[in-house]
Amino acid sequence: MINVNIDGKEIQIVEETTIVRAAESAGIWVPTLCYSELFEPYGVCRICSVEVIRGKRSRIVTACNYPLRDNGTKILTNSPRIQTIRKMIMELLLSRWPNVQIIKDIAEAVGVKEPRIKCLERDEDPNACILCGNCVNICKDVVKANVLSFENRGIKREISLPFDEKSDECIVCGACAHVCPTGHIKIKTLGYERGALQDWYLGPKTAINIPTLQAVPRVPIINEEACIKMQTGGCGICSTYCEPEAINYDAKDEEVEIEVGQILLTTGYQTIDLKQMPQYGYGRLDNVYSSLEFEHMLNSTGPTGGTILCKDGSVPRAVGIIHCIGSRDENFHKYCSRVCCMYALKFAHLVKDRTPAEVYQFYIDMRAFGKGYEEFYKRLLDEGVNMIRGKVAEISEGYLTNGEKPFLMVKCEDTLIGKFREIPVDMVILCPAIEPQFDASNIKKIFSISQSPDKFFLERHPKLDPVSTMTDGVFIAGCAQGPKDIPDSVAQASAAAARILSLISLGEVAVDPIKAEVADEYCSGCRICNSLCPYTAISFEEEKKVSFINDMLCKGCGTCVSACPSSAITGKGFTDKQILAELEGILSV
Amino acid sequence: MAKLKIEDLEKITEEFKRKMTLREGAGRVKITVHLGTCGIAAGARKIMNSFMEEIEKSKATDIIMTTSGCAGLCSREPMATVEVIGNAPIKYVDLTIDKVKIIFDKHVMKGAFVQEYALSVGSEKIQ
Amino acid sequence: MKPYTIQLMICAGTGCVSNQSFEIKEVLEKEIKKHNLQNEAMVVTTGCNGFCGAGPIMVVQPDGIFYQYLKVTDIPYLVEEHLVKGRPVKKFMYVPPKEEIPIPRMNKIPFFSGQTLVALRNRGMIDPEFIEDYIARGGYRALAKVLTTMSPDEVLKEIKKSGLRGRGGGGFPTGVKWETCKKIPGDRKFVICNADEGDPGAFMDRSIIEGDPHSVIEGMIIGAYAIENVREGYIYVRMEYPLAIKRFNIAVQQAKDNGLLGDNIFDTNFCFDIKVRRGAGAFVCGESTALMASIMGNPGEPRAKYIHTVEKGLYDCPTCLNNVETWANIPQIVLKGADWFTGIGTGDVTHDPWGGSKGTKVFSLAGKVNNTGLVEVPMGITLREIVFNVGGGIRDGKRFKAVQTGGPSGGFIPESLVDLPVDYDELTKVGSMMGSGGMVVLDENNCMVDMAKFFLRFTQDESCGKCVPCREGTKRMYDILYRITKGEGKEEDLDLLEELSNMIVESSLCALGGSAPNPVLTSLKYFREEYLTHVRDKKCPAKVCRELLTFSIDPEKCLENGHGCGVCEKNCPDGAIYGEKKNVHFIDSMKCGKCGVCFDVCKFGAITVE
Repeated sequence: MINVNIDGKEIQIVEETTIVRAAESAGIWVPTLCYSELFEPYGVCRICSVEVIRGKRSRIVTACNYPLRDNGTKILTNSPRIQTIRKMIMELLLSRWPNVQIIKDIAEAVGVKEPRIKCLERDEDPNACILCGNCVNICKDVVKANVLSFENRGIKREISLPFDEKSDECIVCGACAHVCPTGHIKIKTLGYERGALQDWYLGPKTAINIPTLQAVPRVPIINEEACIKMQTGGCGICSTYCEPEAINYDAKDEEVEIEVGQILLTTGYQTIDLKQMPQYGYGRLDNVYSSLEFEHMLNSTGPTGGTILCKDGSVPRAVGIIHCIGSRDENFHKYCSRVCCMYALKFAHLVKDRTPAEVYQFYIDMRAFGKGYEEFYKRLLDEGVNMIRGKVAEISEGYLTNGEKPFLMVKCEDTLIGKFREIPVDMVILCPAIEPQFDASNIKKIFSISQSPDKFFLERHPKLDPVSTMTDGVFIAGCAQGPKDIPDSVAQASAAAARILSLISLGEVAVDPIKAEVADEYCSGCRICNSLCPYTAISFEEEKKVSFINDMLCKGCGTCVSACPSSAITGKGFTDKQILAELEGILSV
Repeated sequence: MAKLKIEDLEKITEEFKRKMTLREGAGRVKITVHLGTCGIAAGARKIMNSFMEEIEKSKATDIIMTTSGCAGLCSREPMATVEVIGNAPIKYVDLTIDKVKIIFDKHVMKGAFVQEYALSVGSEKIQ
Repeated sequence: MKPYTIQLMICAGTGCVSNQSFEIKEVLEKEIKKHNLQNEAMVVTTGCNGFCGAGPIMVVQPDGIFYQYLKVTDIPYLVEEHLVKGRPVKKFMYVPPKEEIPIPRMNKIPFFSGQTLVALRNRGMIDPEFIEDYIARGGYRALAKVLTTMSPDEVLKEIKKSGLRGRGGGGFPTGVKWETCKKIPGDRKFVICNADEGDPGAFMDRSIIEGDPHSVIEGMIIGAYAIENVREGYIYVRMEYPLAIKRFNIAVQQAKDNGLLGDNIFDTNFCFDIKVRRGAGAFVCGESTALMASIMGNPGEPRAKYIHTVEKGLYDCPTCLNNVETWANIPQIVLKGADWFTGIGTGDVTHDPWGGSKGTKVFSLAGKVNNTGLVEVPMGITLREIVFNVGGGIRDGKRFKAVQTGGPSGGFIPESLVDLPVDYDELTKVGSMMGSGGMVVLDENNCMVDMAKFFLRFTQDESCGKCVPCREGTKRMYDILYRITKGEGKEEDLDLLEELSNMIVESSLCALGGSAPNPVLTSLKYFREEYLTHVRDKKCPAKVCRELLTFSIDPEKCLENGHGCGVCEKNCPDGAIYGEKKNVHFIDSMKCGKCGVCFDVCKFGAITVE
């Protein structure tokens, strides 16, 4: 530790600390432009110049990268000499980039209004590149992708990519845009590009994040596509901050084999991709949200802390809630998603509760089927929610001629009054259809179960056996079987669990006796039966080089029996001999 | 080329000493044989070769041998000027090979100029 | 070995080579063979003699006859006259300006007699591609002495005692630099020779490399020994010096072949090797941190030197970088001793390494002097002696105005200070600096504003562009100077120039920016009147700045001498001259484009320029 004196203040610091950090700890502000805590100081803007006095020698150095080594060093951060230097530097910068906000701010702070010097390279763009080098340094030192660099010498210096072409090495991490002080570098979205996060979240998140603050367990996850370390090997800053050193970038997904007797599938649902319906403006217009995004906003651990706000931070004057987006629709899903009407009413209630906004509810039918649901609907009517029965045709941007900020125009048909209406709102909430998970057909194949025409998993009997499937031992529950709300999901899951427990307590499972079996002596190992079995019950044993039928999966359909060229497969109780004996018995009468 | 040892430095210096001394115009004694047309006609080349042989025999390395043009006294050719650095240059005239040997021995090596063969004692501007 | 009787030393430095000295050598050898003199006359190519304005040069030894301005067609005559007939040829000899009698001997010519050769001691005496020549003249003795009789600390002490200061321009005491590098812990250190000589018009280092590369190599080996833990050395030569690169490569190879570089030099434990690296055309790579970045393959940009390169330099290891001339001085100091060195020069360095400037310095004398070329003079010699004695005075009898020292980093020294002794500190006191040794002499026909603009243009173009003061500031200064020379300057511009200059000097990242405004500052200090004439009166007293000149016709001369010949009118591209034949002609200043053609074509001197 050494003692230094900054502007008259005596402080103690660790050796090799830079002046700017030392000043920070003493509460003294030193203006900087090209300095950032994220990478090694570059020291090119020279605005942070300060006077250092050691013994009799006084010297002008840059505060961002000068290491303090000697006891008793005196530093002056605002002497007349420094003020002159700072003013001149700001004059130079202001004459070349007069409209860049950060330069204007620092110029004002050091007392420069108008530059006296005319600059032939004057650039009036408020987002001009000011050659601070932040983007180059972060891409080189932190991200380690080395995509950006300086080109040309002297006054012609500029930032560029290799050969001025689009670079394949760029991982679109956005670090350069993050550190650019003038907004010259922008990340342009081209649709679902690499690194874009799911539409759950309102606003950008870091690659390592806790999905929601109420998550259980409350542990962060790393999004592999957005993580810089997993792309280029650079960064790794999060692990330097983790004290228990819990971050392991090399952890890989493991495949684990467990032997079980019964399986319960509750793989859930996904919402329909709202970008398929461009007329609603999702992803194109501001302030158009899906129900899950709005739910996130309402949550007190969400981005706004539970306040309902438009993107520009203002409170909406009117909100439109649109039901049946993608449900009850010939073009998308013919079925009703069941849960949307009730949560849409909940949204209406909360909007009314938290804001003074008008609420417009656009519905086809109000499905309030459950316990207390109809009463809740009634309550909402009393709260003054505007119910409009009709489909919405289009959501577009609207402008008033008096120059007020733009709003969203909802064009719909009000079938109860028989008119077309155009209703201006500030925010639109869409209720997307609930549909099966994107990989439902894969799951179906793995577990040998079927899908109903709406692509949810098929139950054995819609009325009498809604939790079992055609495959013994495989059960389904929840939205995997069909859209349903929480009470119903819980009920169904309990039912499935009870069925499973009863079988476990039995200790044995009684199965249908009609099964096929392979006679090892005759099987040639041709494996024609393996691919023919619709229940994927036949697999191949490598050691014995014969096919083998899983009794639990086999339904006794007989396809393999007829297909086997060696006649090695027989149905139990249906061998040729037995059938011929039966025929003989019948004919003998 | 082999790796040099410290002793080799001295050897190389010795080997090239004569060349260097000539280049620098340094050395203890400078012998100038006048090789103007008259000189050559009078056989000054033989005299020059004779001097060179003497230098070789003596193995001296601080003697420079050079040529110059007509000195102006054509009737007394072959002529040679011997200058021991620090002393006045001596012009020798009507030279023969025997005289060369004596001059070399007495003047060049021992430093006493041979009066009877000399023309003049004194400096001479080289044109 | 039968001794040669005559040695013909032909200068093969770049200057003379570009003027066909190799062709001269070929013809010379042919002629010698023709006259059957090949056993008597030896032809030797040497490095630069220094008197570059008079090249191609040949010196005939042992008499030291100096021939200048030789052409290939002169050689047959020269061989016949001088070698065969023994009559040195007067018409090829040096004649002092305004005189008629030539001076035949090189050591009597004032240009040469005024010099003291230390770094250039082998000038014109050895063939640089022949290591035996260097050894025969005492080469590598210093190394032998060091490796066998001195410890590294003793060598260091001797260099410190000698007071040798960096010859690249910084003037930092070499002994102190070596000592600091030695003290930093580390077992891998480097020495570097900075041969990037970027100052326009400076060629001191080039001559040393082309004439005597082994002196530099020997110096580096001794330095590596003194600093300890140095096994690798780099020589960084600018790419614009192909002959120097070639000679260095040959010299390094010959040294390696003779065991003077590599493992176990002179059978001791000391191992050291040198690699030659080329630059790529950037002045800024002469700056030590930019040079090291360039060697490492990074863009040549300087970095802050709060942590010095002796602590963290090449590959983050302690590195000692010195200039070519500095290294060339080392063997002599070791051989002859520090006391001999301190006997030359100014000041007292026994207690303070910055207390004086010891030894000699090589300057490249250029500009409006009669004798342009390289001179090596002892420190402390006055500018007057250099310009008027060694340099032979101002050409064409014009008046001396100023001398610019130190290249684009230095400043102007006016006539009033011409008796200033030349050393590091005296020159810095008056606002200039010695720099690497460039010296440009200016006469009354040089415009100081134009000269300042010239030097600033160079530094502004060579700025790497990394830091704001240098990149933006020098460009603005250049724009202002440009406007002034075009007649658009204002008086406030002068104050603005000074303010900008001071700021750039104080806050730039490296010494390029830190010294770029020096020409402007010194010219403003000593020649402010000239600037004021430019901005106030819109006139250029030296008649250089085109836009500020007025061309007019002297009616008397036109009529009486020229009789109104009209030649100017015919040649004027702007149609600005009118007048009838046999009558006085006039120039319309509104149309005049100030091209100066009329001035050139008028045979009667009737065109006046103001």
